[in-house]
Amino acid sequence: MIRSLLLSLTLLCAAPLASAQNAPPVALPKVKLFTTGGTIQSKGAHRQKLMEYSDGKVGPAELLADLPELKDIADVSYTEISNVGSPSVNTEIQLRLAKEINAWLALPDSAGAVVTHGTATLEETAFFLNLVVKSDKPVVVVGAMRPFTAVSRDGPFNLYNAVRTAASPTSRGMGVLIVLNDEINAARDTTKSNTYRMETFVARDLGPLGYADSDQIVYYRKPTYRHTTRSEFDVSTLTTLPRVDVTYDYQEQDGTAIDAFVAAGAKGLVLTGSNADAVKRAQAKGVLIVNSDRKGAGRVVESAKGASQNRISADNLPPQKARILLRLALTRTQDPKEIQRMFNEY
Amino acid sequence: MTSVAYHRCIAAACWLLLAPVAHAQEIPTYAPPPPMPADTQALPTIVLMSMGGTIASRGTPRLNITNYGGKGVPRVDPQDWVHDLPELAGIANLIIEDQRAPQDRTSSETHEDFARVAKRLNQLAADPRIAGIVVTHGTNTMAETAYYMNLTVNTDKPIVFVGSQRPWTGLSGDGPRNLYDAVRVAASPEARGKGVLHAMNQFINTARDVDKTSAYRINTFKGVDVGAIGFADPDRVRFYREPVRRHTTQSEFAGKDYSSLPPVEVAYAYRDAPGYLIDAMVAHGAKGIVVEGTGAGSATSSQTEAIKRAQASGVVVVMTARTDGGRVQDTPRRREALIVPGDNLKPEKARILLQLALTQSSDLANVTRIFNEY
Repeated sequence: MIRSLLLSLTLLCAAPLASAQNAPPVALPKVKLFTTGGTIQSKGAHRQKLMEYSDGKVGPAELLADLPELKDIADVSYTEISNVGSPSVNTEIQLRLAKEINAWLALPDSAGAVVTHGTATLEETAFFLNLVVKSDKPVVVVGAMRPFTAVSRDGPFNLYNAVRTAASPTSRGMGVLIVLNDEINAARDTTKSNTYRMETFVARDLGPLGYADSDQIVYYRKPTYRHTTRSEFDVSTLTTLPRVDVTYDYQEQDGTAIDAFVAAGAKGLVLTGSNADAVKRAQAKGVLIVNSDRKGAGRVVESAKGASQNRISADNLPPQKARILLRLALTRTQDPKEIQRMFNEY
Repeated sequence: MTSVAYHRCIAAACWLLLAPVAHAQEIPTYAPPPPMPADTQALPTIVLMSMGGTIASRGTPRLNITNYGGKGVPRVDPQDWVHDLPELAGIANLIIEDQRAPQDRTSSETHEDFARVAKRLNQLAADPRIAGIVVTHGTNTMAETAYYMNLTVNTDKPIVFVGSQRPWTGLSGDGPRNLYDAVRVAASPEARGKGVLHAMNQFINTARDVDKTSAYRINTFKGVDVGAIGFADPDRVRFYREPVRRHTTQSEFAGKDYSSLPPVEVAYAYRDAPGYLIDAMVAHGAKGIVVEGTGAGSATSSQTEAIKRAQASGVVVVMTARTDGGRVQDTPRRREALIVPGDNLKPEKARILLQLALTQSSDLANVTRIFNEY
C-alpha cells in the first residue's frame, strides 16, 4: 500500500524537478524588462540608508547582472524607457512605455513583459497599461521599497518573482499585474497603502489575485472588469492625453482649486467632494466632472441626483486612477453618460 | 425531508396570507416599500431556504444578542422573514423551503443534513423557473456547509449563503438587510458561474475562501488571504473578481449523492502537542487526518512519529497551517514525508475536500491534484 503511494507521489513530483534540472536553455520563455527607474534602481550612500537615496542609479544591465538566477527561468532582454523616480513619470513616458510593450508583445515568440517603476505612482502607470495594452500576455509592474544598496533590500526577490509571474502561462488574461512582497495584485484595484513598510501594495476589500510562492505561481482570483484585450482604448497614434486634474476636499474647501484648474485648461476634473458652485462654473465651460472619494475603499454609488447634475461616479477608483480613466475616456467622447458607462466597465 | 414547507409565493398573495402574523422583527418600524413592479412575472424566482441560524432566532429583550434562542423559545419561521421584509416581494418571487435541522443548532448538524440539502439544492437548481437560491445558516459552520455545496452542487445558478451576527429580534439586527441583500445577489445575473457565494455585511465572498473571523462583531466574514469578490451596494450589486479554483459545474464531485463520507479528523499542532491523539483517530477508523500545523505547516516530533504510524496503516495526511493566511507549499521535505499540502484551506475545509477525495481513492498523487485544483 505505502509502496504504491510512494511510487505515485514520486512520479507526480519528480517530473517537474527533473525538467527544471535538465531543461535545454532554448525552451526558456522570452521576457522583456522595461525599466523606468524608481527605488529599485536607486543607490544610497550606505546600506542602512532607506530614505533620500539619491547617490546613483542602476541601469537595466546592472539590474540583471545582479540577479543571475533569472537565467534559469527566462530569456530576459531589456529596454530602458527612463531612469526617473515615479513622481517624474509623465504622459510622454507612459505613452512610449505602452507603445514599446505593445510592439514587444505583438511578436509571436514573446512570453511577457516586466516594468520597473518607482512605487509612489506605480499604481497609476499600471492601471494606464491595464487599459491600453493590446495583448493577453502577462505584463507585470514591479518596484522596491528599499534601494538597491540597502541591507535586506526587497528589490531582487521582487524582480525575480515579477519575471516568474510574467513567464507563467497561468498569468495570461489576468490584466496588468503588480508584484511585490510575494503578492500578485490587479493593477486596477491596488494602491500603495504605506509610505515605507514592505507590505504596502494592497487591493482594499478585494485582496490579491494570487501569490508568487516558492513552489509555484498560484492564482485564486480573476478580475472581472474590462482590461487589455477587452479594452476599447487605443493610444497607438496618440502623442498626448487630455488634461485632467484632481482636487482634494476638506472642510471649508471653497473651489479655488477647481477654478484654477479650469483656467489652466483642464478638460476634466476628479473631485472627492461637492463644491456645487465651482462645479457649475466648470461644467459651463465644458469640463467633465467625476466624483471619487478620499476614504480609500468603497464605491461612489450612482444616484439620480448625481446623474441629473451630469456628475460621473468613479466606482471604487481612487482619484489618481479615476484621472487616468477619465483622460482615456476623453480621447473617445465628451458625453457624460458614455463616460459613466466606461467607469462602470473598467 | 418530505414534510418540507414548500410554498410557491407570488408576492402579493404571500403578503395577504401572512398579514395577520405578528412581526418577528421589532425594529425598525416597517415603512411602505417602493412601488411594486406592475408585472411580477418579470421578477426572478428565488428560493429562500432556511437552515436556521442566528438569523432565524429570537431573544428578549432586544439588547440580548448573545444568549438568544434555546429551549422553548419559538424560532423565526421562513414565513416570518417574508412578513417582516415585504420589500423582498419587490425584487423576487419567493419560494419558501424549510430545511432546518430539528434542534436548529448548526453545531449539531450532521453529514445527513449536508447530504439532504445538497440533494435538494441540485433538484431546485435544475428547475428552469428558478433563477437563484438563498440559504440561511448559523454563522459558526456556514463556511464549511457552503464549501461542501460549492463542491457538490452542479449548477451555475447563484447559491448564496447568508446569516446574521445578531438575532432577528436584536437591536440593530443585521439579519434583515443581509437577507434582502442575499436575495439581490441571488437575483443578479452577474452572480452566475461564480460558485457558491456568501453575502453578509454588504460583502460578497466565495465559499472556498470565506471564514468567520470574529465571534460577535458584524464584520466577521472575510476572504482568507484573498478578499471579497464583490459588494451588495445600495445602488447595485457589483462584482470585481471571479474565483479560478474548480467549483460547482466544473467540480468532479458535483451532482453526486454522498450519503456518507470517509471519516477524516483534524489534529491541531502546538508546542508539545502529543501524537497519541492522532493514534486515537486512527484507532477510531479515520481514513484521513488534517494536521493544522504551526507556521508554514509543521508538527511536533511526537505528532510526526504518529503521522508515520498513521500513514503505515493507509491513512492519508494533509497539512494545513494555523497562520490564517499563506499556503502550505509543496516542498521536497514534505514530499519525502508523503504529506499532501493543504494549500491555503482552513483545516475544517481541507477536511471536507479530503473526505470527498477519499471517496475516489487513497492515491496520494490524486489527492494532491485535487488539493491543487479546488
